[in-house]
Order: sequence, then C-alpha cells, then structure tokens
Amino acid sequence: MAEDLTRTARAEAQALSETDNVDDMYLTFAIGGEEYGVGIGGVTEIVGMQRIMSVPDVPAYIRGVINLRGKVIPLMDVRLRFGMAERAYDERTVIIVLDVADAPVGLIVDGVSEVLDIAPSQIDRPGQFGRSTKTAVMGLARVGDRVTILLDAEVLVGDGDLALPAEMVV
Amino acid sequence: MSAAAEIGPDGGLLRVSSDKISRLMDLVGELSLSVSATVHSPDLAGLELSAFDAAVHRLTMIVREVQDAATELRLVPVDDVFKRLRRMVRELERQTGKKIEIVLEGEDTAIDKLVADQLYDPLLHVVRNSADHGLEPPDERRAAGKPEVGRITLSAAQIGSEVRITVSDDGRGLSRAKILKRARERGLFGPDEEPEPSVLWKVIFQPGFSTAETVTNLSGRGVGMDVLNTTMTALRGRIGVESEAGKGSDVALHIPVSLAFLDCIILRLGARLYALPIDAVSEIVQPAPADVMGMGATGGTEMLRLRGRWIPVCRLERFYDEDTGAGLTPLDRMVLAVVVTAQGPIAVPVDEVIDRQQVVMKPLVGRLARVRASWGCALLGTGEVALVLDCNGLSAGGGA
Repeated sequence: MAEDLTRTARAEAQALSETDNVDDMYLTFAIGGEEYGVGIGGVTEIVGMQRIMSVPDVPAYIRGVINLRGKVIPLMDVRLRFGMAERAYDERTVIIVLDVADAPVGLIVDGVSEVLDIAPSQIDRPGQFGRSTKTAVMGLARVGDRVTILLDAEVLVGDGDLALPAEMVV
Repeated sequence: MSAAAEIGPDGGLLRVSSDKISRLMDLVGELSLSVSATVHSPDLAGLELSAFDAAVHRLTMIVREVQDAATELRLVPVDDVFKRLRRMVRELERQTGKKIEIVLEGEDTAIDKLVADQLYDPLLHVVRNSADHGLEPPDERRAAGKPEVGRITLSAAQIGSEVRITVSDDGRGLSRAKILKRARERGLFGPDEEPEPSVLWKVIFQPGFSTAETVTNLSGRGVGMDVLNTTMTALRGRIGVESEAGKGSDVALHIPVSLAFLDCIILRLGARLYALPIDAVSEIVQPAPADVMGMGATGGTEMLRLRGRWIPVCRLERFYDEDTGAGLTPLDRMVLAVVVTAQGPIAVPVDEVIDRQQVVMKPLVGRLARVRASWGCALLGTGEVALVLDCNGLSAGGGA
C-alpha cells in the first residue's frame, strides 16, 4: 500500500517524507490573540520580514511585493485583510509563502507557531459563520483546550469581501 | 568545446526540454541579481578596492554574455510557424476556390520559442483574412488585369531587438469607404473626421469590428483580429497595417526577440519604482512653469507644452486611483517621461529618473494579474522590483 503510494505519487511522497498525511497537517500562526492555521500542502516556505516594494493598483491589504531569490511575490497583510488594526512589524513578524492556484503569495502574520496534525474529526465545519456569504474560515479545530481557526487559502487570497473573524468566532 | 565536436552525425543538435532551458534562464536571472547584490553590498561602502573593481567589471561582462547565450538557447527559426501556415493556405485554396501562391521570406529569422508558440493563431487569422477578403476570385483578378493566382507573402526579419513578421497580399486592399462607414457607425470617428490611413486601418483590430457583408466559414466574424490584438498585447508587440486600393495590404507584426529581458528606463515616483521600455520613451523633459497647464473643464487634466504642441499628462497616482491626500507635486518640480502610444504621445511625471538598464522580466501572476497598464515586473540589478508600464494601456485607461 505504502509502496503503491510512493510509486504513483513519488513527488508528493517525497514532500510528505516520513509523515502520514499532508492533508491533515496545518501550519499555525498568530494574529492578535488568535491562532490560525493553513494547510501545510500549500506552504512553500517561511521567511523573515524583508524590504517590501510597493506596487500600484492593488487593495490596501496587499502591501507590495518582495523579490525572493528572483521570484516576485505579492504580500498580503492578513490583519488588514481581516479589517483588523494595523500593527508595526517586529522581529517575530514573518512571511508565510503559499502557492495558491499556481501563483505565489506571501502572508504577513504576527508570528508562526507550529505544525499541527489535525484529523478531520477534530474539525468543526459549521455551514455558515456570520452573515457574509463568503468566509475564509474553513473550520474550527479543537486541539487540546485550544481552538485553531483553519483558513481556506484560496478564499483568503481571492478578492471577495470577507466577514470579520470577530463575527465568526463562536 | 572539444566535447561538442564529438556529437554525432545529426549536425551536432541536441534535444533539450524547454523546462530545462526555462530553469537555466531563471538561474541566469538570479545569478545576475546575486552578482549585483554582492557588488553593491553595503559592507563594501567606502573601501578602496581597485583590484576588486577590475574583477567586478570582468564578472559583469561575463554575466552579460551568459545572459545573451542563455537567451539564444531558446531562439528558434520562425520556419516552423511559416510551414504550418503554408499547409493551412492549401486548405484555404480548397475552401475558397481561389488560387493562392504562398511565398516565404526570411524563414530562418530566430525568435523566442515562447513567442513562436503563440504566433501561429494570430498569424493564421491574418492569413485567413488575406485569403478570404483580400484576394479576389480568379475572374475578378483577370478583369483587373492581375495574374489569376493571388499571392500571399510571409516574411520575417530582425530589426534591432525586434522581429518584424509581415503578411502581404496582392489583393484588392482595404476599403477605406467601408471601414470608415463602419467605424463611424460604431462612434470611433466623428461624421466629418477623415482619419489618416494608418490610424483608420488600426480600427480593424478593434474587438467585434468586421465589415464583411457575409460571415463566411473562414473569417468575417470580427473575432480573429481581436485574437491578434490580445496576443500582440501579451507579447508586447505592435501591429502596423498598410494598404493600397487594388494593390493589396500588408499587416506587419513587430515583436520583441526575447521576452525574458528588456531594456528599460527606471523611474521613481514616491516610494515606487516604475520601468518604461526604452523603445517607448521618446524624451525626458523638465518643464518650465509656463509649459504646463491644468484644465478644470476636463476634471483637472494637465497638459505639457512640447515644442509648441500640447500633449496630455498622465499622473500615475490618478491612473491607479490612489489616495493623494497630500496633493500632487506641481509638474514643474517633476521630471516628465514623454512616451509614444497608439493614441499619440503622453507625458508621465515622476520624481526621478534612476538609470537605464537591462532588466529581468517576470510576468504578473495571481494576485498581481489585474494590475492595469503593465507588462510585468522588472527585477533590477539592485534586487528591487519595478512595475513595467504599458504605455498604450496608460493612454487608453483614461487616467489623463
């Protein structure tokens, strides 16, 4: 069975290395006092804050672009994306680089926490949070006594207006 | 070198996947950026380094050569595209009942593979148009004293950093009366306006523009030319049309040889860097207060006087609908880049002209794809990123 997997999806298996299922793994990060998570499958790397170059014609939450070893990556400030208060970047601020629909995008977050293995059974997926029809929240994960808000990277990076997380959190 | 000579009887040709070449191009781009970062390292500031400077000079030269060599790897002759078109013309002969002779010229002209791959469809539409609307049926040709067999010439030539591909036919030419009538109906020209031929012909590339009375299987639905337009914009190319009634028409596509590198002028406006392709910039001026004016009547559009002629000024802050809370810097305290566009010259004010350099082009993908009037991002030698402006987009976008 495991051999089959390696044979059919070798590249993926390599990325998986020794872990069981990449779909159940989430990179968690902090924004304000809240803990968020994104599926690790889309994460390509985590880099420290660097010089941002401003570009025109993008929403305010796209702070600009960075040149990451010859790749131009737009940066989204997740606080601003959620309509939360702006906060000065500090030494804990990091950029999580994701590959969403074949295009790179960097998320500016207050700090990364850890990689968690969260089984689907630990995730509550209420049909609707708040009034908005669109939400970047994919579900709430119960990990011990904490709750991690799991985000749908595609919706987050897309254009739609998002309901405020404040309205969503139970 | 000696190893290369050992390669077999197939003329020393190797098949290499385009992915590998793209990877090499990316690495070469990164290499030139890293070299630049090393050379401009702040750690070196204030040091006297004569031997180092000589080595840097050599290194920079080599990097430039590697860059050129890598670009060349991806160049292919336009021959393949031309041959596919020739087959298509045979097909068109059968469908239209016309006799068509096809002539190929300059088919060994080299062009970036990425460009070549995108050329077939737009060229096909031009060729179809020539075969279907340009060339007359045999009896009409005989009556006009022309040889019965119509001729379509496909030619390619490199001119500087551009390749020009021309599709010429010896058919009836474009009908000024028909096109002008149609253009007026669509409100492109006023009822009394008599546009220059070169301006008028360009309207045939407008989306949905067709003068064909009958929509044939081949063309006339006004879609084809639109495809041409879209592809040409994506390839940073230009289209030129010439036509003479009774003698035929020429459609010329001007395309950059390589999409990977671009010669640009780098400009700074506020905290942002912009790049203008060198071919687009006609001059850079610092206007005197008397040479600029604002027109309240058109929402504060500003104009610049250039050798007695007033040309519109396109403020990038306005074009991109930015919050200009503090107000805009008066034009006489700025530098204006005068650029050529399809709608005539416009002036783009900036704070500073930084320099001219060959940049590594990166397409705008994902979140950046919808940035207007831009061809992509330019990676500068310093590692900074500038937005490359598409001047036609600027003048069409109505920011001015």
